[in-house]
Amino acid sequence: MLRILSVWTAGSQITPRGRASADGAPCPDLEYLLNRVAVGDHAAFEALCHRLDAAVFSAVSRVVRDPSQSEEVAQDVLVEVWRIASRFDPSKGSAMAWVMTIAHRRAVDRVRSAQRSAERELRSAVPPVAYDQVAETVADRLERARVRHCLGSLTDLQREAIVLAYYGGYTYRQVAELLGVAAGTVSTRMRDGLLRLRNCLERTDEN
Amino acid sequence: MRTNRREPHSLVGAYALDAIAGIDLVRFERHLARCRRCAAELREMRQAAVGLATDRGCEPPPGLAERAIAAASRIRQLPPAAWPPVARPSRAARIAVGIAAVAVIIAGFLGVSARTAVDQLGAQQSRARAIATVLAAPDTTVLNARVSAGGRATIVMSASRHALIFTATSLPRVPPSHCYELWLMGPGGDRPAGMLPHPRHGMTGPVLTSGLRPDDRLGLTVEPAGGSRHPSTAVLLVVVL
Repeated sequence: MLRILSVWTAGSQITPRGRASADGAPCPDLEYLLNRVAVGDHAAFEALCHRLDAAVFSAVSRVVRDPSQSEEVAQDVLVEVWRIASRFDPSKGSAMAWVMTIAHRRAVDRVRSAQRSAERELRSAVPPVAYDQVAETVADRLERARVRHCLGSLTDLQREAIVLAYYGGYTYRQVAELLGVAAGTVSTRMRDGLLRLRNCLERTDEN
Repeated sequence: MRTNRREPHSLVGAYALDAIAGIDLVRFERHLARCRRCAAELREMRQAAVGLATDRGCEPPPGLAERAIAAASRIRQLPPAAWPPVARPSRAARIAVGIAAVAVIIAGFLGVSARTAVDQLGAQQSRARAIATVLAAPDTTVLNARVSAGGRATIVMSASRHALIFTATSLPRVPPSHCYELWLMGPGGDRPAGMLPHPRHGMTGPVLTSGLRPDDRLGLTVEPAGGSRHPSTAVLLVVVL
């Protein structure tokens, strides 16, 4: 009952679903567009791409860094959204979260395969980028105060673990090695930290 | 290397950050499949990750969307994650399986034994006769699919009869002012394909839908009790027919 109610509320907020902008109606929501994409609607996919290209590119480029590689990965992500749109399950999260999950995964895959080929040569246990570099660049780029503020509300270890994993593309074991902390501690901090971040973002959303 | 075998649950954060690899990943996904708390936490964490991903608004390279659109037009889409159609060893076996499966379900509604359900259906009123026609068609196919809001749908389809029979079990209840509605979603748009009756003993249907066209998909939404002209809430199920 609870689950259907949540689906329900999400649905009932959506105002005229109809054809995008044909009658000056408000933009159809992402969930609706994604459902249309799932049934092969090219026009819906076009609308979706124009709506999400900046977000996807931004998410990918933060991890991948190199602009031309980021562009390549971002394009793959959008095509992947087209290909697997039928697998989107609103009960598991919002359409935005789904697309961002695909984007981040693809970006991390790209970074890790580059890491692996570098490791084949170096056989180094320590990943090539030092923590300070990552944190600094990321901190510089966090333009909006909201995420910075919420990241700031985490403990140092929670924040470092999340930033290294999300923007650096490291596994929690690599993060543990970098920070000289037990792997179990890192995974726990990631979990606590993300939940706290979520609460904080939600609170600032309301204000 | 130490593993988190004792506490796979603590890995949900690392999973949300795509920070698990190898055996840890396999082990955690196995845990996730049966951990409802993990799934709920993961949903929240993914939303937090949206904040991490999108907080810096940056200009996409010119033409990115257009290139993706062009590339997608050459890519075949994946069907929804439905169970594969039941057994395809031979047409006769397929028909037998189809009829048996639906007879069991329909028998539940009509209060008759599964063995005689098909026979008795023929003697019922026209709706039941039409259902029996689909069941007896030479190209009957049975599809099963999970409904995203909960429950399972079983669809018996005959392309030659341009018709399908929809039944479902354990669909979540909706307020009395609303109903589940079926849709045929084709290249030309969405067409209403029938309202589902309120469930009895957790079972819904059977509902007969006719007028299937090639490339139609079957969709399910929740709508106001009178039905809608277009889907107005999230699509809970899409089945490629």
